[in-house]
Amino acid sequence: MTLLSADHALEVCQALVDASPADETEVTLQSEEDRFARFSPEGPSQNADRERHWLSIRARLHTEAGWKEARATVGTLDEDDARAALGRAMALAGAAAPDPDRLPLAGAVEIPGSAPHRPTQDHSFREKAEWIEAAMSRCAQAELAPAGLARTTVYTRTLINSAGRVAEGALSRAHFSLTASPTDGSGDAGVAEQTHCDVTRIDVDEVISRAVDRGTRGRNPKPIPAQEYTVVLEPLAVSSLMLFLSYVGLGAEELHLKASPLVGRIGERIFPEDLQLYDDAGHVDHPGWRFDGEGTPRSRVALISDGAFGLPVTDARWARTLDLPDTGHSAPQPNSKGPAPENLVLAAGNESMEQLISGVDNGLLISQFHYTNLMEPRDMILTGMTRGGTFQIQGGKVTDSVCNLRFTQSLVEALKQVTGIGRRQEIVGALFDGEIVCPALRLDGFRFTSTTEI
Amino acid sequence: MQAVAQLAVDEALRAGADYADARVQRLSLEELAMRDGSLVGADAPESFGLGVRVLKNGAWGFAAAPGNHKDLADVAPGLARRSVKAARDLGRLRRTPVELVPQEGQVGEWYTPVEEDPFQVSLEEKLGLMRQADESMRGRDEIVSRVVNLSLRREEQWQASSDGARLHQVLVRTGAGLAAKASAHGVVERRSYPASFSGNQISGGFEVVRAMDLPGNGGRMRDEAADLCSAPLCPEGVRTLILGGSQLCLQIHESVGHPTELDRVLGHEMDLAGASFATRNHLRTLDYGSSCVNLQADSTLAGGLDTRGWDDDCVPSGSWPIVQAGVFKGYQTNREVASAVDEDKSRGCSRAESWYDPPIVRITNLSLQPGNMSFDDMLADTEDGAIFADSVRTWSIDQRRVNFQFTCEVAREIQGGRLGRLLRRPTYQGNTTSFWGSCDAICSPEHFHLWGIATCGKGNPMQVAEMTHGAAPSRFREIQFIQ
Repeated sequence: MTLLSADHALEVCQALVDASPADETEVTLQSEEDRFARFSPEGPSQNADRERHWLSIRARLHTEAGWKEARATVGTLDEDDARAALGRAMALAGAAAPDPDRLPLAGAVEIPGSAPHRPTQDHSFREKAEWIEAAMSRCAQAELAPAGLARTTVYTRTLINSAGRVAEGALSRAHFSLTASPTDGSGDAGVAEQTHCDVTRIDVDEVISRAVDRGTRGRNPKPIPAQEYTVVLEPLAVSSLMLFLSYVGLGAEELHLKASPLVGRIGERIFPEDLQLYDDAGHVDHPGWRFDGEGTPRSRVALISDGAFGLPVTDARWARTLDLPDTGHSAPQPNSKGPAPENLVLAAGNESMEQLISGVDNGLLISQFHYTNLMEPRDMILTGMTRGGTFQIQGGKVTDSVCNLRFTQSLVEALKQVTGIGRRQEIVGALFDGEIVCPALRLDGFRFTSTTEI
Repeated sequence: MQAVAQLAVDEALRAGADYADARVQRLSLEELAMRDGSLVGADAPESFGLGVRVLKNGAWGFAAAPGNHKDLADVAPGLARRSVKAARDLGRLRRTPVELVPQEGQVGEWYTPVEEDPFQVSLEEKLGLMRQADESMRGRDEIVSRVVNLSLRREEQWQASSDGARLHQVLVRTGAGLAAKASAHGVVERRSYPASFSGNQISGGFEVVRAMDLPGNGGRMRDEAADLCSAPLCPEGVRTLILGGSQLCLQIHESVGHPTELDRVLGHEMDLAGASFATRNHLRTLDYGSSCVNLQADSTLAGGLDTRGWDDDCVPSGSWPIVQAGVFKGYQTNREVASAVDEDKSRGCSRAESWYDPPIVRITNLSLQPGNMSFDDMLADTEDGAIFADSVRTWSIDQRRVNFQFTCEVAREIQGGRLGRLLRRPTYQGNTTSFWGSCDAICSPEHFHLWGIATCGKGNPMQVAEMTHGAAPSRFREIQFIQ
């Protein structure tokens, strides 16, 4: 057992704050227990039963010209290692130039505590083997090759600073994914996944059924031309697009640097009114850290509401610079990255998947996008490939499997063209970091620019 | 620490493992980031721990925990038992047992050649150099952000295996870079030197940073970023493309490096990163590129980020062709997958991000071998309207590594055999074998440089690895540009 009790973690952090010769000190301790089993066509291919810590010390020196600060992190809880890290932070801070824009550390806050979810923490390899066995069995029956991941992780995080701030909490995460590929290579794979903070809420059968269904129906795809289509994006596909709003774009720094879709658009009604995007670390099914890298409580922020972009998320520094409220979205400081939303929630609509599809006369149903990346930050022009099941919709019904296509599309323009929002939200991720809670979407005029043979 | 690694192996065998290896690793970094003259990132992380991997009844087990020289010996037996238990709990589901190709137990030490220990250079000197680089980007109103990065990494690893390996390695890499971001006329453009995304990293000491001459190149990046904001978009259509080395690095990485990882071909990465078009039936027959295309894998390459004595399977480094005279010749393998292409030795491409991660097949150093044309001669030999493009802006490739679309930071139109007007956001697309098949000229060795990739993501959960791709500017015919 690696996770420390809340009291023990506070004790470790407080001892370092007390020992620090810096004018101000902030100490963060994050611990993690992770157990995963990965599988491929031959069965379990890789696994790990592992744990680690990050004990991170931020040292600050005050001068008349401003604060000098730096950070050092160590991966053990050994007292000598921790004091060595404090020494490195002090040395780095001493060499730094004073920064007049840095603020003093902020003091006490009220943050609700949380504990790891015990069934998720205790979920064993034998239980994961049952998930994997079910997936392998169903894939074999359908002549599909399985690959996927069964994983449970619990984290605790404690932050203390010399100004009296104390924040602590825990996160739990369970995940199961399946990629089911035709064994004869006759098409792309079907993909499905579920993530939840409570391992007992993972519906393994549903994940398997969806992936197997997509993999089975995806055989022998037919080529179609790259052009604009009305698309129904399943939540996995929506995540590949929307998560870019958490990587870049909706933070105060990008707005200040004019490298954000918010430039000239805040408050302008350009999206359908029922498109609502929030950053919400308090989401009941997918909670995030309730405090940011400086221990400030995370606010629930309306990023898109009433058809318009809202204000950006901020941290203490950018809130002061732009005269905005501090929403509690700081990275650990000092940091070259500005504030960013980490817990995106796209509000559910009122259409079933069948209703979303029935509203399309000639279009595509897209399960997932692969390797989406940002070409241009102001209009959020993205490119990526379809993956995991792409199907034609004709006359309101899903018909043939089609070959994968590459899109090149402004996300801002795409969101203006939303004509339907699904009623069921899912917790889904993409190739890069992060997860979003989102429903399926139907969009008009989605631009595809090239094709592949499968 | 060598004794701790050996202890973990012995304990794993005692717990019933058929094979075991262990890695004790201490990882030290120094990461400095300056923006607009202020130090916005200053971190010195250190990580120390033990990872134990076993085979039991043909199934893998892995366990890892942090520690240091005081307590890892106490941690090792428990990790050994946990790794064997993981293998036992999951192993009944294996359809075929994992079998490793043979490897004699290696004993030895390996150190990255370092002229100037980067961790011994004073902070004042490092920050002074960064300030000079920052200053060199001042002077244009369009510039909204000036960033300078400096990054040092030292990885010390002790390995042992039940095949008799006892290894100690110290790998050092140093990197730096600068970037100017401009905003004007509703356009945001960035120029980076010597490469985008925090610069270039090379295996070696602080001499790497000194050789970059950051202050001598900041002004050019500032001016190009500012001028790009008023430059026309690179036009659509089919044109000749000359790629600079830093963009070729990514092209090699994404369209040759990843598809020739044999674990991808076998479906081991299908759950996230994807598969590969370069399936085993294509080996030694597929025309991967034109006859002038030679791509050599080399984990002995001086300066390479994956240059080491042995990989994490305790297999010695080596060099072999991936593409030779345009023909697909070889894969990147580890001890688990090598036999799938009837090879009796691993190519030594097994690596983990850290002690915390189980090893997987990774791209090693992989370079496009230089040709015989000077850059000036290549320009003079290229028709008007062709495009020279360099520096990665964004990239995307499908999961089989066929259809790609890459955007560079900067382009220049070729006119009269010279580099002409600036063009912004050059975006080209294609498919892998057609693209490499269209290569008709590669610049000579004096234009060949090493480009490091320090953030290659693969695996699930994702792991980061480092490798180098050497390249000289190269010419490709009939390339599709889009806007």
